[in-house]
Amino acid sequence: MSVAKEVKKVPLSERIWFKELKFMAKRVRESPLSLAGLAIIFFYVVLAILAPYLAPPKPGRDPFEIPRYGYVITPSPPSPEHPFGLTQGQYDLFYGCIWGTVTAFRVGLLGVSGSILIGLTVGAIAGYFGGKIDEILMRIVDIVYAIPGLILAMAFVLALGQSLDNVIIALMLVGWATYARLTRAGVLQVKQEDYVEAARAIGSPHRRILLRHILPNSIFPVFVVATLDIGSMVLTASALSFLGIGAPLGYADWGQLIALSRNWLIGTPENPFEYWYTYTYPGIFIFTFVLGWNLLGDAFRDILDPTLRRR
Amino acid sequence: MSAKDWGIAIVLLIIGLLIGYFAAGPGKVTTTTVTQTSVKTVTTTVTAGAPKPTTTAPKTTTTAPAEKVKNPDKLIVATIGEPETLDPAWAYDTASGEVIFNMYETLIFFDREKVDQFVPIVATKVPSFENGLVKDGGKTIIFPIRKGIKFHSGRELTPEDVEYSLERVMVMDRDGGPSWMLLDPLLGVESTRDSDGNIVVKFEDIDKAVEVEGDNVVLHLKKPYPLTTLLQILSQTWSSIVDKECAIKHGAWDGKAETWTKYNNPDNPPLQEADCGSGPFKLGVWEHGKQVVLKRFDDYWRGPANFTEFIIMKVDEWSTRKLMFLKGDVDMAYVPRQHAKEVEGAPGIRVYKNLPTLSNAALFFNFNISATSPYIGSGKLDGNGVPPDFFQDKNLRKAFAYAIDYDTYIKEAWFGEAIRTPGPIPKGLPGYDPNMPMYNYDIEKAKELFQKAWDGKVWDKGFKFSILYNTGNEQRKALAEMIKDKVESLNPKFHIEVKAVEWPDYLKAMVRGELPLFIIGWLADYPDPYNFVFPYMHSSGTFAAWQHYKNPKVDELVEKLITTTDQQKRIEICKELTKIYYEDIPSIIVYQPLGRHYERTWVHGWYYNPIYPGVYAYPLWKG
Amino acid sequence: MGSLATYIARRLLLIIPTLLGVSILIFAISMVFTPEQRAALYVTSPKAASKIYQIIKKYGLDRPAHEQYFTWLSNVLRGNLGYSKSMNIPVIRAFTDLWPTSVEIAIYAAPFIVLVGVKLGKISAIYRDKLPDHIARVLAIVGWSLPTFWSAIILLAIFYGWLGWFPPGRLGPEAQAIVRSSEWVTYTGLYTIDALLNGNLFVFIDAVRHLFLPVLNLVIVGNAGIMRVMRSSMLEELNKEYVLAARSKGVAERDIINKHVTRNALIPVVTMAGVLVAGLMTGLVITETVFELKGLGYWAAHAAEQLDIPSVLAFALFTGVVFVIANLIVDVLYAYIDPRVRLQ
Repeated sequence: MSVAKEVKKVPLSERIWFKELKFMAKRVRESPLSLAGLAIIFFYVVLAILAPYLAPPKPGRDPFEIPRYGYVITPSPPSPEHPFGLTQGQYDLFYGCIWGTVTAFRVGLLGVSGSILIGLTVGAIAGYFGGKIDEILMRIVDIVYAIPGLILAMAFVLALGQSLDNVIIALMLVGWATYARLTRAGVLQVKQEDYVEAARAIGSPHRRILLRHILPNSIFPVFVVATLDIGSMVLTASALSFLGIGAPLGYADWGQLIALSRNWLIGTPENPFEYWYTYTYPGIFIFTFVLGWNLLGDAFRDILDPTLRRR
Repeated sequence: MSAKDWGIAIVLLIIGLLIGYFAAGPGKVTTTTVTQTSVKTVTTTVTAGAPKPTTTAPKTTTTAPAEKVKNPDKLIVATIGEPETLDPAWAYDTASGEVIFNMYETLIFFDREKVDQFVPIVATKVPSFENGLVKDGGKTIIFPIRKGIKFHSGRELTPEDVEYSLERVMVMDRDGGPSWMLLDPLLGVESTRDSDGNIVVKFEDIDKAVEVEGDNVVLHLKKPYPLTTLLQILSQTWSSIVDKECAIKHGAWDGKAETWTKYNNPDNPPLQEADCGSGPFKLGVWEHGKQVVLKRFDDYWRGPANFTEFIIMKVDEWSTRKLMFLKGDVDMAYVPRQHAKEVEGAPGIRVYKNLPTLSNAALFFNFNISATSPYIGSGKLDGNGVPPDFFQDKNLRKAFAYAIDYDTYIKEAWFGEAIRTPGPIPKGLPGYDPNMPMYNYDIEKAKELFQKAWDGKVWDKGFKFSILYNTGNEQRKALAEMIKDKVESLNPKFHIEVKAVEWPDYLKAMVRGELPLFIIGWLADYPDPYNFVFPYMHSSGTFAAWQHYKNPKVDELVEKLITTTDQQKRIEICKELTKIYYEDIPSIIVYQPLGRHYERTWVHGWYYNPIYPGVYAYPLWKG
Repeated sequence: MGSLATYIARRLLLIIPTLLGVSILIFAISMVFTPEQRAALYVTSPKAASKIYQIIKKYGLDRPAHEQYFTWLSNVLRGNLGYSKSMNIPVIRAFTDLWPTSVEIAIYAAPFIVLVGVKLGKISAIYRDKLPDHIARVLAIVGWSLPTFWSAIILLAIFYGWLGWFPPGRLGPEAQAIVRSSEWVTYTGLYTIDALLNGNLFVFIDAVRHLFLPVLNLVIVGNAGIMRVMRSSMLEELNKEYVLAARSKGVAERDIINKHVTRNALIPVVTMAGVLVAGLMTGLVITETVFELKGLGYWAAHAAEQLDIPSVLAFALFTGVVFVIANLIVDVLYAYIDPRVRLQ
């Protein structure tokens, strides 16, 4: 028992995750780019919170249903009532872009946390137990890796049925593989450390060792990758919507708004950019949202890079 | 990055942009060496092929043609469909039909825009009672076969080829294919197999139905059949005459009695990419998913076509198609109705409007919804669902019929380019009568009828069910939403959910009888009223069977319609059916679309025949 | 080199379980659909819909899942990949028809992606935390954050809709006419290469003109990964002792970087090949769809949408093979350039 006690007594400032966190904060403070990323994300958080006030939904309607102002197909240019204009089918672009922010956060955060959950479990089991289990689980990871993510996600969405929730589930089912690999690698490294050996020597149950000793010390890279992944999840989800198999028509989703603009790329002979607003606004929203996460994540990336650590 | 690297990058970029600029420059690199070919005069007197400018289109918008003709020796069409096959005995979709009817020929063909008058093609005469080629009260029909027609292989067409071609259609009889149209008059059956897939037809019957007698081919019908209807069936792609030797070479039925069952209902069409035709164009190349290139057949018996190439391109993106059309890179283009404004009035483009199509769509009531349907809520009349036999109440069906604002719907969803018809028979066919009664929008009457339905229980308890539409179909969506809005506004206990599903899901729900209300359309197989009243009203017709609608009197009348040969009597039957349709309201015909045709002003000779599956290039020319 | 041969053979053998797994996964997903849904591929009209149960029976869509899988598998082993209903040709034909389009884009995009990525990574490392570093990183991140379809749309709107310079598709009508004529000899199916071999400059220029935007689009969105690896390996290399030694000796910084550092820093970039291939595959699905290029990516997306299962299976197998082989080549190359790495 005395050994186990000692293990627990590592001072806070000496724990790996605390050091990592400190290093992370330092990187962010030092890098103007990541500060910019943070600012963008903050802006979008505010936008998502204020969505019900900026673009009040019709009472009794699902707020994610973009209101329509008529049934004419041809888009209508921006006007005081509709600052971003109305896209194909008279869906309000401003409303769609604002509520699309909420959708994007849902897709990004849920998709990534679900992936982490699956990946962490699989990776930890594979790394900790090793042997046959490891071999089988890693082969499954290989299989998921061998199919292009977009196509696999498409297949999952089609099989589950078209809805945003199923898009998120599909993203989880595709995205977990990365985390499984990362976790496994981390677990393999930590497994050899003294305190784990010690805990094992005193006969702690597997679950306890995994949860208390191994995971907290190997989980870090996972969270770093996660910040980077939020952006790409949102991109994949919007690509699915763009291909017509994501969110249902009229759902507040940026990818879908761009899909609706597809027929309006080319304006009229007199004005080649006549329908510019249909593709410009939703595109800028996706782009800056993903950019924010990537700018932030880029600073974190160095943390993953062992050669650059804590210099 | 050193200055040198930047320099290289910039130079590369400039080169790229310059290439783009110059290659795109109007007529700089792109000028073709081919000068405009003069319009060839057609050597025979057959009017169907004679190119002359059309004046018959209902309404024409023309802008002054000024520019130089692009690709003068080619006809290029940009569309969205992809043919399924080039095998005439398999093809049943318009995209395949468009290619096939330019490559193959039939015994007779429609006389330009008319759907009930014919010109002889492979036959030398159109059979009629008057010329003695129709005998036995319409059960024997004789086609004298033209001599001197050459197949694309160079072989001469013989009566044996005709016999083989028509028999092959019956032999093949693939599930869901067009063969029933020949089997019905010739053998008196809908299919060569029963519903379990066992063959129920003897080869003898097929063999005897089409016989060669000297230079003639004789059809022996099982039962009297309206002559015009039969000739319409024989004028279309499934009745194409194929080169027997060529077909056998490509693995089609070898023409023998012993082997025919082997060639029955194959998995894939044997003449998928083969060209065994004798038509004005032969197959150049079919690049799947991209285009079909047809080349002029120089030995065509009516004289070579005016184009060396006829290209049907598949361009999915509207914006791309539009630009190609506006720039004159394509001569004709499919323009979705909602985008009409973007090309209408553009210089060099001609539009034909209000062309009545032989198609319509209706709202169908399911008389016996599957009890396990996920779209009927609780499955009971308790305000949270509907019972499976919900729509058996006539008052309820009437209430829905009065609740649809037809005029607004057509104005908004169809830009006014659709009409309503009193029954299933579309405008343009015999038996259509605009003066028959039909339901008009009357919300007060609808309310009254809802109160009466199910002895007032519907009004007291309310209901809840879903209307599905398949994604991408904006018109159906608009109709479903309108029904929801109107019906829900009558009583707060009425709930209708409008749901979009993909085509596979829609299809599944429909064939399983899960949809309480469904919206679907019908496109004519051949231009005869029978082809509409049967699916809509006969208890074994496609739609009526899904609905479980059965009225013995209707069944009798529909069957009478196809065995009656006297046109006047047939029109009477149609009127009676339309009247019953109004009284029974098994479904509500909501619209018959009016089509449009867009072409460059340098294209001449086009005319509209509603049954054509696409562009018939032979009579056209550019200049 | 005997050990290398056995290593490669072993790795190639390992493809088999992966491919089996891939096909089982895709097949399992397809079995979620009811026979009616899978028959929708064959049913395009109400008339055919009324025969749907006969169609289901004909194609065996209602048979138990494992039976359907084994039928498919035994056909594949006999070299028959099935029939692609979405393309209306056998799957094998679909491949042979479509691969040149995809490969042509990929072989032009890949070198540029690497070139731009390496260049940006190098600048970024040399000027670490200075303005050029920030600019280079922002450029890479911007590219990485752009939705592929959106950048494609913007490029099309500007260069086609407005300027009319770079049209979508593979060739213009005039060039197509030449390519279809009897004088044209098809060597590879790649129009740029065939045009040069045929000595036809017009077709070559036309092909390049059509390739420009899709390739540009892929380069814009695809270089970030390479850039990052290059940057960190360059930074690592710059901190090595030989660099410090050389600097203290007064060797010109330029020579140090160009002669030694860059070369060594490039080694880890090689490992990115697998990721690059995967990224290109996904990028192609979108890029081909937007630019009207009918290649493998376009086919895969459309087949999946229409539940054309034989096609999706074949595509998944194909990408599996490409991916595994790309990784194998990476590993072998890596061992070749870096003697410290041993193949095991």
